[in-house]
Amino acid sequence: MRDAYLVGAGQSDYGAFPEESYRSLFRTAFEAATDSVPNGLEASDVDEAFVGNLGVGGRQLGLSGPAVTEHVGLGGVPCTRVENACAASGYATRQAVQAVKSGMADVVLAGGFEIMSDMSSDATKYWLGVSGETEWERLSGTTFSGVYAQMASVHMETYGTTREQLSRVAVKNHSNGAKNPHAQLGFECSLEDAQSAPVVADPLNLYHCCPTSDGAACALIVSEDVVDEYTDDPIRVAGVGAGSDNVGLFQRDSYTGVPASQRAAETAYEMAGVEPDDLDFAEVHDCFAIAELLAYEDLGFCEKGEAGQLIESGETEIGGDLPVNTSGGLKSKGHPIGATGAGQVVEAFKQLSGNAGERQVEDPTRGLTHNVGGSGGASVIHIFEKETEVSA
Amino acid sequence: MTAITGVGAYAPRFRISAEAFQDAWGQFQAAGVTEKAVAAADEDALTMAYEAAGRALEAADVDAASVDWLAFACSRPPLAEEDLTARLGAMLEIDETATRHVFAGSTRAGTRALWAGTDALESDSTTGLVVAADAPQGDPDDGVDHAAGAGAAAFVLESEGSAEIVDRAEYATPYPGTRFRTTGEDETQGLGVTQYDRAAFTETIGGAVSGLETDPDVEAAAIQAPDGKLPYRAAGAAGVGTDEIQAAATVHSLGDLGAASVPVSLASALADGFGSVLAVSHGSGAGADALVVETDGDVPAEMSLESDDSLSYAEYLRQRGVVTSGPPSGGGAYVSVPSWRRSIPQRYNLEAGRCPECGALSFPPEGACSSCGALEAYEPVQLSGEGSIEAVTTISQGGAPPEFAEQQARSGDYAAAIVALETDDGSESASIAAMGTDAAPDDFAVGDRIETTIRRIYTQESVTRYGFKIRPAE
Repeated sequence: MRDAYLVGAGQSDYGAFPEESYRSLFRTAFEAATDSVPNGLEASDVDEAFVGNLGVGGRQLGLSGPAVTEHVGLGGVPCTRVENACAASGYATRQAVQAVKSGMADVVLAGGFEIMSDMSSDATKYWLGVSGETEWERLSGTTFSGVYAQMASVHMETYGTTREQLSRVAVKNHSNGAKNPHAQLGFECSLEDAQSAPVVADPLNLYHCCPTSDGAACALIVSEDVVDEYTDDPIRVAGVGAGSDNVGLFQRDSYTGVPASQRAAETAYEMAGVEPDDLDFAEVHDCFAIAELLAYEDLGFCEKGEAGQLIESGETEIGGDLPVNTSGGLKSKGHPIGATGAGQVVEAFKQLSGNAGERQVEDPTRGLTHNVGGSGGASVIHIFEKETEVSA
Repeated sequence: MTAITGVGAYAPRFRISAEAFQDAWGQFQAAGVTEKAVAAADEDALTMAYEAAGRALEAADVDAASVDWLAFACSRPPLAEEDLTARLGAMLEIDETATRHVFAGSTRAGTRALWAGTDALESDSTTGLVVAADAPQGDPDDGVDHAAGAGAAAFVLESEGSAEIVDRAEYATPYPGTRFRTTGEDETQGLGVTQYDRAAFTETIGGAVSGLETDPDVEAAAIQAPDGKLPYRAAGAAGVGTDEIQAAATVHSLGDLGAASVPVSLASALADGFGSVLAVSHGSGAGADALVVETDGDVPAEMSLESDDSLSYAEYLRQRGVVTSGPPSGGGAYVSVPSWRRSIPQRYNLEAGRCPECGALSFPPEGACSSCGALEAYEPVQLSGEGSIEAVTTISQGGAPPEFAEQQARSGDYAAAIVALETDDGSESASIAAMGTDAAPDDFAVGDRIETTIRRIYTQESVTRYGFKIRPAE
């Protein structure tokens, strides 16, 4: 199979934008992505597109893919809308990589978008947690805050993880997001703030939960046959892994981990031929603070049950051994559901091309993105690698 | 002869005191009521009926499958039209072919159901189950609402047993306007013509008791109690003393139980071991039933009428939904009524499935086996309703799905858990998500023992969906 390369990626700001439509946000992300390609890339170069979107609010629920790709002038190329809850555009990225590797396309757009802020509070409530298991889990009174809180309750009971450790995730990610001009909640918060916020679903308080966001993100994946036309510093998609699981937490083997992420990680590390130790940074799916801690364990950043100590050690801060969520993560940067996975790829691209500004990790070679749908019904992981030696 | 062979009674856990009303209104219009029971936001007459009926069957040691006659009585059933005995029967696992009746529209409905059950047993029914449950409701500034309590009682009827219904009589004469609810209205009202109301009450009670074959000489008298004073005013008409009325009275601590008033008092007198009890109801319109029960003083009973969970008046208005605005207009994630109906064996009866390949349990029993992946038809296995908490959270404001926004506005934060529900012998379990009820959310922790009950889950498209919830094990 051919190799696939990440040659460009860009995003809109994340936040609440009454003046913007889903199409205008997607256009902003698309233009940022094409502009980021070192040697330039035209809309007419794109052979195919995969677009992630949950469809919060209803709006263009059917054919929402072509609705945005035609808006930015992709001129009739095949477009598929990918729905895998919060992992929609992580999976769209995986589809793009598959299309390139299979030989069916040379230049593929992987993007995503979501508008979540322009509805009445009643209409917003309607869409809360629609990707949870509906008949039993939701009707036991939970949305995702509740389900992740249940995971936290067991993790705390089993491994002694503390509320303070959960709050440290928020403190770190806000500190990073404050350095990201695209971040929705780009301000620092103190440990005191992050411990004293109102409870949403015990033990999770408001600072343990990501916001709802408007936003769009795009990444451009090309084949080894054409990569040289677009860049002199190729970033290879070294590993891809994905996994699914039962939609409801109660149906799973584990409440203290996300088996789909464990399977995705195993596949991705094997394909890339690397170990967690070989990573220079990671963007993980921190929809709730406990989710980042679970990711540490599921992705092998630490042993099972030791995520609390890892966040306390500071090793996942910028400057640490393995910086996690340098973008601010879902917590601070924001979580426009359909855009989130592609948005993580944007951060990986910025870090690996040395354009991450104040939050730049020192000279990274390899980074991982980890995107989860729901409470773990879907998970997708990419490992991106600067190919300095190979291309030399 | 018809005998009561098991008695069950239930009152919700919440109480509000006369003082709380006094503080809120400057007066309390329900004379003789010290405190009263208040149904939680997820309770109604049907769920209270389930609670009482399960206890009665347990007390009588009767298998629900052998019940061939079922009656549900309530002055104001949760639905004005639709036969709720189909759902009540399914919750209790009563056979589909059992005879069913609904008695409604009168506070006399509970004794009408007992009456009809007695007739049925004297005809060709073998095992009857009479359930009366009620939670009257009036305008907040009206005496009907001040007195309104909540509770239920159930009686298993068989042809022989420790408590026999030895005599009965009824009486009716027109007295319009004393207590009524017009079509489409939620609140019961009355004209409040004091002397006229009392005349209606005492004349019908006196008429029914006079119709008995023998003058009652009883140890306890369960008299209809719209408030805590009126039953005593009927002592003379009923031919009993106030001590006998006091002996069976529940109105002072539970309030006006409507169609369940006499049934709960009768249940409580039987549970207390009185050898002879007179039960006299009164329903507006007006009419009365009088029944005499002679017992050996040892009637099996499962009673759950005690609680000290106090509400303030503001909390009372919230629990009852008086000051909340209803569910959000957006609705929620959609589960169609036909989909819901397919899950009734799980929602009501905890029917899990055993994988024929590997023997593992799945709940709900659908799709591939979560242990071995086999896609085979499950063998039904009924779980016991007992188990333990595996994971739990307390859902605060902002964390609830919209289906539960109204319930949360009414009853506050709630626990949401994953529980391992066990088989009868406790050797196996299946995990399922369930909401906590009947206790503060803090009373649910990982590892705690729980039991299931049936409550209102939510209402969508005007159809209330009932299903199991969990509460701390007794």
